[in-house]
Amino acid sequence: MAEKLLELQGISMAFGGLKCIQALDLDVGEGEIVSVIGPNGAGKTTLFNLITGVYQPTGGDIVFAGKSITGLEPHQITRRGIARTFQTLRLFLNMSVRENVMAAAYGHTKAGVFRSMLRTPGMRREEQEIRELAEKRLAFFGDRLMGYRWDQPAYSLSYANRRRLEIARATATNPRLLLLDEPAAGMNPKETQEITDLISLLRTEGGYTILVIEHDMHVVEGISDRVIALNHGIKIAEGSFDEVATSPQVVEAYLGTGGMAKK
Amino acid sequence: MSGGYDDELSRPLEGALEASTSEGPTSPAVGRDEWVARHGDNRTRRGGLLGTVEARLRVVPWWAWLATFVALFCLLPVASDSGYVRRVAFDIAIYMLLALGLNVVVGWGGLLDLGYIAFFGIGAYAYAFLSSDHYGIHLPSFVSIPLVVVIGATTGFLVGLPSRRLTGDYLAIVTLFFLLLFLTVTTNGDDLFGHNVTGGANGLLNADPLSLFGHELPPTLEGGLFNPAYMYVVLAVFVVVYVALRFVNLSRTGRAWRSLREDPLAAEVMGMPVNSLKLMSFAFGAAIAALSGTFVTMLSASVFPLSFSFPLLIIIYTMVILGGSGSQPGVVLGAVLIGTLLELLRDPGDSRVLFYAAIVLGVLGAFRFSVKLAVVVAGTFVFGFVAHSIAGASDNAWVNGSGGEGGGVADFAANWVIVPVHVAAWVAPVSYVSLVALALVLTLLHGWARIALLIPVLYLAAFVWENVMIAQPEPTRYIILGVILIALMIFRPTGLLGEKRVEII
Amino acid sequence: MDTFIQLTLNGLTLGSVYALIALGYSLVYGILKLLNFAHGDVFMVGTFIGFGAIQLLGGTVNPIVPVWTLLILITLAAMAGCAVLGVVIERFAYRPLRDAPRIAPLISALGVSFFIAYSMQLLFGSELRNYDTFSLDGGALYLEGFDIGNVRVPMIRIITIVSAFVMMILLWLLVSRTRVGKAMRATSFDREAAAMMGIDIDKVIVFAFVLGSALAGAAGVLFALRIPTYATIGFLIGLKGFTAAVIGGIGSIPGAMAGGLVLGFAESYAQGYISTRWSDLLVFVILILFLVFRPQGILGKADIRKV
Repeated sequence: MAEKLLELQGISMAFGGLKCIQALDLDVGEGEIVSVIGPNGAGKTTLFNLITGVYQPTGGDIVFAGKSITGLEPHQITRRGIARTFQTLRLFLNMSVRENVMAAAYGHTKAGVFRSMLRTPGMRREEQEIRELAEKRLAFFGDRLMGYRWDQPAYSLSYANRRRLEIARATATNPRLLLLDEPAAGMNPKETQEITDLISLLRTEGGYTILVIEHDMHVVEGISDRVIALNHGIKIAEGSFDEVATSPQVVEAYLGTGGMAKK
Repeated sequence: MSGGYDDELSRPLEGALEASTSEGPTSPAVGRDEWVARHGDNRTRRGGLLGTVEARLRVVPWWAWLATFVALFCLLPVASDSGYVRRVAFDIAIYMLLALGLNVVVGWGGLLDLGYIAFFGIGAYAYAFLSSDHYGIHLPSFVSIPLVVVIGATTGFLVGLPSRRLTGDYLAIVTLFFLLLFLTVTTNGDDLFGHNVTGGANGLLNADPLSLFGHELPPTLEGGLFNPAYMYVVLAVFVVVYVALRFVNLSRTGRAWRSLREDPLAAEVMGMPVNSLKLMSFAFGAAIAALSGTFVTMLSASVFPLSFSFPLLIIIYTMVILGGSGSQPGVVLGAVLIGTLLELLRDPGDSRVLFYAAIVLGVLGAFRFSVKLAVVVAGTFVFGFVAHSIAGASDNAWVNGSGGEGGGVADFAANWVIVPVHVAAWVAPVSYVSLVALALVLTLLHGWARIALLIPVLYLAAFVWENVMIAQPEPTRYIILGVILIALMIFRPTGLLGEKRVEII
Repeated sequence: MDTFIQLTLNGLTLGSVYALIALGYSLVYGILKLLNFAHGDVFMVGTFIGFGAIQLLGGTVNPIVPVWTLLILITLAAMAGCAVLGVVIERFAYRPLRDAPRIAPLISALGVSFFIAYSMQLLFGSELRNYDTFSLDGGALYLEGFDIGNVRVPMIRIITIVSAFVMMILLWLLVSRTRVGKAMRATSFDREAAAMMGIDIDKVIVFAFVLGSALAGAAGVLFALRIPTYATIGFLIGLKGFTAAVIGGIGSIPGAMAGGLVLGFAESYAQGYISTRWSDLLVFVILILFLVFRPQGILGKADIRKV
């Protein structure tokens, strides 16, 4: 395995008495695509919230690119190179498609308020760069998010395009690690296939390491180098797709103790 | 079923496009983006002549609008040499500045800052501290004004600090208490640990006028007239602030502000430091408010705690919300409209004309040119004359109480509305409360029932206006502001020029 | 020592009125998550209804009914009038905005507050209105009572304190024991889930406004028995009531009582031991500190941020 980019060391998370994640170890190597699966309530989205700093873990340490990021604010973590999408889609709905992506470039751009007021040449150059970056990120999705759609408000997009825009926005933060929270949720089979191809492309062309939560087993099978199964905040299986899919604990977690059928 | 497609991403999309165009090449498919987009266009774009005018106007660049507006504003003192008009123009220019500042906090930062007026006051007091006889410090304006702005921004920053822990209405309350704190301290500050700091309720006097390049601008010209130069100065400051803020709004900072207003968590996770951005908008608003405060102190050469009260806060809020919170031209328009309205309401003649004009325009706007309009207008006229003649026939004292200013409108009102010579004490509360109650009932009715009720309500409104409200401009102004706020929130939360916004939950 | 007893008594009287107002804020906030800025003005209307009712009953010097009947009647009148006002406010100013962004009903509430306060000023002027309860029974309410040490506890304070506490206990029983109380608690916990369980949300909200406003009306009369009132008094008193609600933990009924008393004592001691000019300042500072460092109040629970 390549060098570890993200490493979770004994992470725990509890809300009051409710333990969502318990002593979880997890790592993602540079350039890998790792999928996290598990039934509803297994703690998958909580995991993402912990990595991105939305929640502070009650125990353990998160190491990114060799440095601990535990206790940092979400925007600081994003600057270190972790970006995410939201399962529930949290776009800036009343802003244009292009602005949504441009806004995400905030972390790695510098022009201050006073330079903006004076519109200094440096600020204008940077603004041009942000604009080009946004258009490049949107162009990644072929003509799905091209041309006239750039200036439309995000709320006018279809559901599938909103998911794409979420990904485009996340990539505009120039991340090394991309966290995708159910990228294929609510998509039809054709769109699901497209997103599967796209995730592979994100690695080969974008150069991102990817950690993905997904329920659609076809997608998981199609993209993953490695699969991690969670249940009740505990890692119950880890390995290749086939290893995890046939693991008795995973079958039990999905189908209950009496379950006989295998997927 | 992995990898069944070409690497080229456009391929699968062609399939999808074909599927959607099968319904016919011209009809956009339901559920597709094009359809949604066109639907939006259809709704916002008008047809006909009005639509053409609107489309043309939209092409006019922002700076042309700004330049025209400022040019017209500059002409005011030239067109009218009345000191009153000039003074009002100055006040409105201050309102415009204040509205621009509040727009940064409320419209862009999305923070409900109910302490905004305190920063206006802090600016006014800080200028008086730095340039008046009170401490014997007389800094020249080009030093004291920037200092005041820095003081304003710093206080704004400090007050905003807890905003990292407070959201929404809690922040509103903390800032409101800051305003009350400011008022308590300034009102009782003539004995602060034995020192006279703020002059208490008597305020601070003898503040220096504006000095530009060694010349002092006297606040009043010979003959006690207001010096219009101050209006030009404030207008110039307004233009600078407007343009600077516009540029900020178009930069990455502006985008970040809009993002955090849309979804603070998503903004934070996309790398925007939400708390510092909020603080920044807070400090910006405070700085602009403080800047406006300096000019008010200069002009009146004095400063009193009562100038920074809660009603002023509501006035500025109404301006921002009426114009369209978040839209710079909107809040300026709101400042001009509300500023003018409040001035007109001071004078019984003007306010009478304004009242009837508002009624006519309101009815016209509600019914356009239709049968219903004719019924309402005719019905109201007849109702009025009949009521007036019945009352007049029984006792002349019932209708002879009027006779005010307002030209033809007043004459009309005198012959139409019942204005008794002597109004019994119970008349005012009973008529006013029934007017409010009936107006509320009106919103529940539909169709002809509404029109049938509308006629007596309009007449009752005129009765209340002539007999109760016109004589008391002060509460009337604030009542109207309150009604504007409620009605705007319910019927048009975006204001006049605000962008259409959707909230999808 | 006498001063201390006197101030404690003041604080208790003031605090019980604040607590009644705070309950109105808490009830509405708990269910609608709306900071009802107009609540203080409902209180003010209560003080005026009480004043009007006294005039209707013949004034305090020569009332047409016995003193106790008079006191009960004016309180009931204020409670009923305020309850109607509260329902009207909810129906016309807040209900249309129930699904709007959070800031919209807040601004609407500011508008309502302004509208009510200045409507009163328009109709009844801005001068002080005094109930003149001293004239009732030749000052009996002030002269009779019992003594603690050298401090006389007059009847009028006993009336205020006892009736405030009785009403608070009744409210508490109502919310914790009855069906409608259960519906209110369910709604405040999760409005949508409550609706799906067959609770009529509109009714619950209206009920909360009725209760809260009636309590504000009662508070108005109890307050104005001793202290003159005026058209714009609602703003400051309302803010203090809200402060009490926040200090106690907004949404919590025992919290509102505790918060009201804490605030009443703080204000009274500050007036007595520091200075009357700065007592308001102390109240503001307490509130700001509470909001910043313990926004959930004394008895409230912290929220978990959901993503």
